[in-house]
Amino acid sequence: MDAHTRATTFDAVARGSLRRWAWIVAIGVVLLAGVPIVGALLGATFSYTLRTVSAGGALLGLVSGTLGSFVVLRRESLLGDALSHAALPGVAIGFLLAGRQLGVLLLGAGIASLLGVWFIRVVVSHTKLKPDGVMGIVLAGWFAAGIALLVFIQSRPDASQAGLDSFIFGQAASIVRSDVRLLAGIGACVLIVMVVLWKEFKLITFDPEFAVANGYPVRAISTALSVLIVVAIVLGLQLAGVILMAGMLVAPGVAARQWTDDLAQMVGLAGVFGAASGSIGALLSALDADIPTGPMIIVVACCFVAVSLAFAPGRGLVWSFRRRTIDGRRFRRTAILRDLYHYAYDHAGPDQGVPEEFVCGLRGRRPTLRTLAQLQIAGLVTRVGGPGWRLTERGWRAAAADARRQRLWDAYSESFDRLGLPIVEIDRSVDLRDLLAADEIERLEQAVAHMQEVPRVRG
Amino acid sequence: MSAVDRALAWILVRIADVDTINMLFREPRVTATIIGVIIATAAGILGCFLLLRGLALTSDAISHTVLLGIVVAFMIMTGWLGIEPDLSSPWLIIGAAAAGVATVVLTEAVERTGLVRQDAALGLVFPLLFAVAVIFVSRYVDDVHLDEDAVMVGEIGVAWANTEAICLSGCEQIFITPESSQAELVRRCVNCTDLGITPRDARAEFRTVCVNCGEYSPVRAWRAGLIDQEPVTIFLPRAIPTSLVMLLLTLVFVLALYKELKLSSFDPELAASLGRRPVLLNYALMVLVSLVAVAAFDAVGSILVIAFFIIPAATAYLLTHRLALMLLISAAVGSAGAIWGYGLARGEILGLVSLPDDWTTSISASMVLVMLGLFLLALVFAPSRGLLVGFVRRLRQRNQFRDMVLLGHVVHHVGTPEAVDELGVTTVHRHVGWSIALAGAATERLRRRGWVTIDAGMLAPTAAGKQALASFHSVALDKS
Repeated sequence: MDAHTRATTFDAVARGSLRRWAWIVAIGVVLLAGVPIVGALLGATFSYTLRTVSAGGALLGLVSGTLGSFVVLRRESLLGDALSHAALPGVAIGFLLAGRQLGVLLLGAGIASLLGVWFIRVVVSHTKLKPDGVMGIVLAGWFAAGIALLVFIQSRPDASQAGLDSFIFGQAASIVRSDVRLLAGIGACVLIVMVVLWKEFKLITFDPEFAVANGYPVRAISTALSVLIVVAIVLGLQLAGVILMAGMLVAPGVAARQWTDDLAQMVGLAGVFGAASGSIGALLSALDADIPTGPMIIVVACCFVAVSLAFAPGRGLVWSFRRRTIDGRRFRRTAILRDLYHYAYDHAGPDQGVPEEFVCGLRGRRPTLRTLAQLQIAGLVTRVGGPGWRLTERGWRAAAADARRQRLWDAYSESFDRLGLPIVEIDRSVDLRDLLAADEIERLEQAVAHMQEVPRVRG
Repeated sequence: MSAVDRALAWILVRIADVDTINMLFREPRVTATIIGVIIATAAGILGCFLLLRGLALTSDAISHTVLLGIVVAFMIMTGWLGIEPDLSSPWLIIGAAAAGVATVVLTEAVERTGLVRQDAALGLVFPLLFAVAVIFVSRYVDDVHLDEDAVMVGEIGVAWANTEAICLSGCEQIFITPESSQAELVRRCVNCTDLGITPRDARAEFRTVCVNCGEYSPVRAWRAGLIDQEPVTIFLPRAIPTSLVMLLLTLVFVLALYKELKLSSFDPELAASLGRRPVLLNYALMVLVSLVAVAAFDAVGSILVIAFFIIPAATAYLLTHRLALMLLISAAVGSAGAIWGYGLARGEILGLVSLPDDWTTSISASMVLVMLGLFLLALVFAPSRGLLVGFVRRLRQRNQFRDMVLLGHVVHHVGTPEAVDELGVTTVHRHVGWSIALAGAATERLRRRGWVTIDAGMLAPTAAGKQALASFHSVALDKS
């Protein structure tokens, strides 16, 4: 590849990436601008509470979605669950020490979660317990401590403790504008740290061994990432509650992963999905007083996941189903053409029909008849009396070409070594002529000529 | 469940007399401890298999999603069938078990698409199902038994109050009719007092009235003195028979399929190739986990359930290598947590230390905290896998290695011209690159073993020392 083609390839990649980015921005704008419009159509009144809550939800979704991408890629999805539960005793201790001050409560929550991270790391590295087991222990043990303290606090005659247990399920309605400002401030800090440490995070996400070998302080970097995740969890406690924060971290990342293979795009898209589910969830829960906000946000986020799993281009289930169907159809067509060709070759000659019972007997009656009908429409086979089927002129040519292709493949896999041919991926549905140079094909053709008679094509 | 209730009551009255039993069950502590021990035993045994199969967090997921099963079954029963079930109704249990299995199936389905990895699949499915459950609870269900507190901490502390009266003898309903011998018949004036009519009046009309006629439940009949013998009634807390059934199912399952469970936990491929159906067994295990999770959910709330499954099992895992022993230890740790946990909730630690008077807290959380404490003890002090033993072992290995480095240095330099400096007691530390203290300690250890002697301020190896070094070489450095 010379410098010029390389440059144009890069240009093409860059153009593709730019187009993807444009898509992401467009989706973000549509989703976020669509929320108030749809909300207005549904008859929601944009009260102070709703504006605050949906802004809070969007911010939280943005932060947890972006960080959640790393969580998903590092296969630590359940760490978020464990850590969000582990935050509870911190909240309770913070309250016992300093009363109802949001800052102190969140600080306590963060410290408790980090203690959980540390405990998991120590136990996993010093015993044979598996990480998931230790996560379970931290999750339940820390949470039990939190519950014990909370119940103790609630049993005391003290009015200021009211609503402290909203940290468990989240109570979005209690959010005020200063909380949103705090959320925005801390969220911005988290995102800035993420951008600054971008390269390091990317490295330990995809190739930690390489990072170690190159002298990166992997443990410090992954601690930094854990700290950011803990911060995101702590931010989410008030809104979504400890139980649902796990979903808040995982869902946007999983949804975004389906649409792109590029980390930056995935993180951006996860942020968009997170923010959209945050605000849409808040809006939907505002339509009915009995629907709690946190769970609704999770449900919306999971809807994004469902849509992504189904429709993401190239990866989605709908596409892979379509591809499987098309592949299957093509495979059956080729196989039946081959059956007819070989029958004619071995027994009767091209002009004789092949009994229908014989063709169907090889590959099942109904799919065979369906495929034969398709082939007939394509003008490759024709019905003869008997009842039977016969290749048309075109069908004969197509089958013969296929047989020749397969023979080339046979020759290739038998003697590519001896003929000094380059190694290509063996895929018998493509033409070897497209993969090898003309002189190499010639050598192969000679080898075919030396092979005994016409080899049987495997169908 | 009523057959189980009766069977249990029948067994109980053969052990103790009815008054003692009722008095015990009326004691919150006893009831809570019994329920706790039953659940902890069942969960502890199942937890071992979950832990060994790497399914620890699946139990967390299941314990969350059983809420959805309970809520949906509850909504169907109240909404369509018009029944008001309580939390131990078998239909709710079936719904919950179905939800638990659905979690596993759904997670595997998401995973099988190949688009989402296992951890993320679990991390998606159970928050979603739990979120749906919470929305249903707050939107459609308006019941004291299904509020958010019950979901969080369970009802083990008040389980004693939710009883089923089981009458064992003298249980017939009593009907008193005017004809029966116990009927109190009174002649009464029916039109007296109005119009100034007195019973003596000629216009007074008399009629015979039965004052105690009607239907009597056995207890009321006894109170009214209608029967001579007190009906024998046991007030059984509802959670006990439910959880006992789960425990029995667990024990039967594990005892009957012990070999298969062991095989498929440690070597699923071998189990599959031997035709032992590990997948089917896995689903059976998940059904059982869901059932126990429901019973536990009722008692200790949805999140702490995982503690009952995992913490005792992990503790046992640290203490033994043998599966049978692990199951026993796990059940024991769980039970210990249940027994001491009640005390902790009421401010006493193992019956020894008393916390301040105003300390009173969640019983289920305290049980978990005791289990966590036992886990930490095992973590630090476990005989072969504990942190302490590991620390001592590493320390000893480090010292042994230092000794050999020093010994090697001595053997290498003895008798050479530079030995005065290289092997001088006060200078040797510079040549091996240690602090004086480290080198001194190593020298002292070597001297005590008789591997070096100190001669004129210089280290010299003994014959035994040379031999020790040679054997270290052949073993540690694999030089034969």
